[in-house]
Amino acid sequence: MASREYRLVVEGELSDRVQSAFEGMSLTREQGNTVLCGPVRDQAELQGLLRRVSDLGLTLLSAIALDEPSTS
Amino acid sequence: MADPRRSGRAGRSPPLAEAKLAAPLLRPELIRRPRLLHALDAGDGAALTLVAAPAGFGKTTVVRAWCESRDVPLAWVTLDVGDNDPVRLWTYIATAVDRIREGLGRGALHRLRSSGTTVDDAVEELVEGVRAFGKEVIVVLDELEAVTAPDCLASIDHAAERFPANARLVLIARSDPALRIARHRVGGTLVELRAEDLAFTTTETAELLAGRGDVHLEPSELELLRGRTEGWPAAVELAAIWLRGVDDMSQVVREFTGDHRFVADFLSQEVLGALDDDVRGFLLRVSVLGRFTPPLCDAVLGRTDSASMLGTLERSHLFVTRLGKGGWYRVHPLFAEFAAFELAAADPGAAPEIHRSAAEWLAAHDQPVEAVDHAASAADFDLVARLVVAYHLALIRTGHARTVLRWAEELPEAQLLVFPELAVAGATAALMTGGRTAERHRLLRLADRAHPDRKVPYVEAVAGMVRAAAIDGTAEEAVAAGLRAVEVAEAEADDVLVAALAALARAQYLAGDVEGARETALRAIEHPDSASRPPGHSFARATLAHVAVDRGRLVSARVHAEKAKALVGAVGSSRSWLGASASMALGAVLGAEGRLAEAERELVAAEHFYRDELASPHHAWLLLLLARVRVGRGRLGAAGDTLREARDALEELADGAVLGLLAAEVEAELERARREANGGRLVERPSEAELAVLRLLTTDLSMREIGGELFLSPNTVRTHTRALYRKLSVSSRADAVARAEALDLLDGVESSG
Repeated sequence: MASREYRLVVEGELSDRVQSAFEGMSLTREQGNTVLCGPVRDQAELQGLLRRVSDLGLTLLSAIALDEPSTS
Repeated sequence: MADPRRSGRAGRSPPLAEAKLAAPLLRPELIRRPRLLHALDAGDGAALTLVAAPAGFGKTTVVRAWCESRDVPLAWVTLDVGDNDPVRLWTYIATAVDRIREGLGRGALHRLRSSGTTVDDAVEELVEGVRAFGKEVIVVLDELEAVTAPDCLASIDHAAERFPANARLVLIARSDPALRIARHRVGGTLVELRAEDLAFTTTETAELLAGRGDVHLEPSELELLRGRTEGWPAAVELAAIWLRGVDDMSQVVREFTGDHRFVADFLSQEVLGALDDDVRGFLLRVSVLGRFTPPLCDAVLGRTDSASMLGTLERSHLFVTRLGKGGWYRVHPLFAEFAAFELAAADPGAAPEIHRSAAEWLAAHDQPVEAVDHAASAADFDLVARLVVAYHLALIRTGHARTVLRWAEELPEAQLLVFPELAVAGATAALMTGGRTAERHRLLRLADRAHPDRKVPYVEAVAGMVRAAAIDGTAEEAVAAGLRAVEVAEAEADDVLVAALAALARAQYLAGDVEGARETALRAIEHPDSASRPPGHSFARATLAHVAVDRGRLVSARVHAEKAKALVGAVGSSRSWLGASASMALGAVLGAEGRLAEAERELVAAEHFYRDELASPHHAWLLLLLARVRVGRGRLGAAGDTLREARDALEELADGAVLGLLAAEVEAELERARREANGGRLVERPSEAELAVLRLLTTDLSMREIGGELFLSPNTVRTHTRALYRKLSVSSRADAVARAEALDLLDGVESSG
């Protein structure tokens, strides 16, 4: 299945305990924001990820695909 | 766990979750937000009110406070993913409306349970009930973001269009619903409250801090805190609890504004950390449950004091809210999210264990849908399988096929291979809901691939039953599948015997074995359990109706068809495989009785169901019956179109031997009608007034009604009609319509539908 690397930036620095909400994504804090990076299998998974962002009341600043689809 | 398949529970609807119909109770010390109440008041006369903002913006609270201030009857429904089933969705809404005053929702509820009507009919009925009630009413749909199914959203759109002036429809959602909002916005019939409206002002922040935590800040600190939280109500509430427990407020507020931690994350840690161990442990654990009652908490947490604990949490504003009457509580969903992180850190195995015991408790208390959802949250697929196997027949028999299908779709394929009962349950549900041919095939293939040890007779019987009923290959293959299903069911899976017999009977009929079909269908309806098996019973009755029509036994055909329809009502949904099957049987009977307008209506209703399906013999057959009725009514153009559609469907099928013969018969009837229609000459061109009458003769309107439409007296209509018959050389209404079509006199007249 084609999976792509995505990078999401949300406002505010999240604590490490929140990591479990975004399984498979790396979580880093950058200047008052949190960057989530990781492989996303398809659009349905991406929508699920965005829903998690909204469930936590987070403000999404950006979401971009980093590479071309790969078959992994 | 008792197996409800054997305990006679089958056939009873699962209880409505009271928590879904309860409006959260308002606390007296709530801060007043007059500017928001005025904004909502200003929408009187608006068709739609939308409160859309992210989690934690106090949407529910504001709407609840406004309802309280209006002091008018309120119907409140909190939605969830299970409401992506239009029948379930509107059953809840109509039930909530019915509680305003008994009887208000009765018509709609009746329609939702009966066959031959659509959900839109039920919506109309509900709207009419509310209109007739006359007094001001508020209908609130909370957590609408859970509803994404297009047909459900379309039904809400439909309701929004039709809501009477005395009723306000209020939608609360985290994201803008896919409704025709823009149209209402442009038309000025929409009232909206969004995040920027709901955010606390500095005054509101001060008021909340003072009321909640007896916290009083200097104006500059207040401004800092508001800026740091951006007036996000959830964060301000957390801050109030946090600040009332610290020694030097000014100090911590300044520190807080200096760092970048996400406010809800930081504040929830602070608030939870300050609680004593027992209270924190309790709060973290009930947060897993979402909605719950004290007895559920007691059972799941092994306590006896949940009721008093919940009272304490509620009084301390720790995000626990009581939901109306009925003893249900809930934890604010945003707070529950952060509580879950805390619990996962403190006790990693706790959440799955809580979900698991909640599932067991709910199942034992007759709430199977909620039970399965908790089991799935625990990722305990053994338990999901056990529950679905135990309840799916009861759920399918009571019209909740779509819920069963959702479970089968959400489970990983590996689990379906281990529990093929779930795969075949899903395949049955896919057949019943319609439009899901590909999903049905996928689930049946998975059941085939299951490990031999897991393929219990029940699985084989159900898979054979679905294949026989659906007829995806040739009719002979379907008969073989049906025979095998009956054989296995008789020996080892008596539960599904009625359904297996009904499916086999239908396959035999379409394979041309009419006598075999009759005998098998009779065995189905004479089975001692058939009364508690409405789907199988209804399907068998429908087949018997077709057999009786073929043999010219119209009285018995009508009895069977009417029974088939009545039984669909017991299953809850008219827009289903069974509803379509029953309407088709009744349409065939009405056609044979010569009641052609009614027959056409019934068949067109059934045809809606098959629109989204891939070509199937059932659909081709239905189209042929419809074409025949249209020939009978003289609607030769429409009949030709319908026949062509049937031919197209037949071409896509593996085998349509019997239907091919029927198609040839209908074709011949159509040809004959065309020849007869063309045989006549136009004696004289009808006048414009006569043509106006002619156009209405193609409808179901009576002579009196035609007169009403055209503002003519019945006598004048009769005169025009006599003149028409003479000029067209015909002696009946049907012949007049047929000839008019053949002679192209009906230009611009709707010729189908």
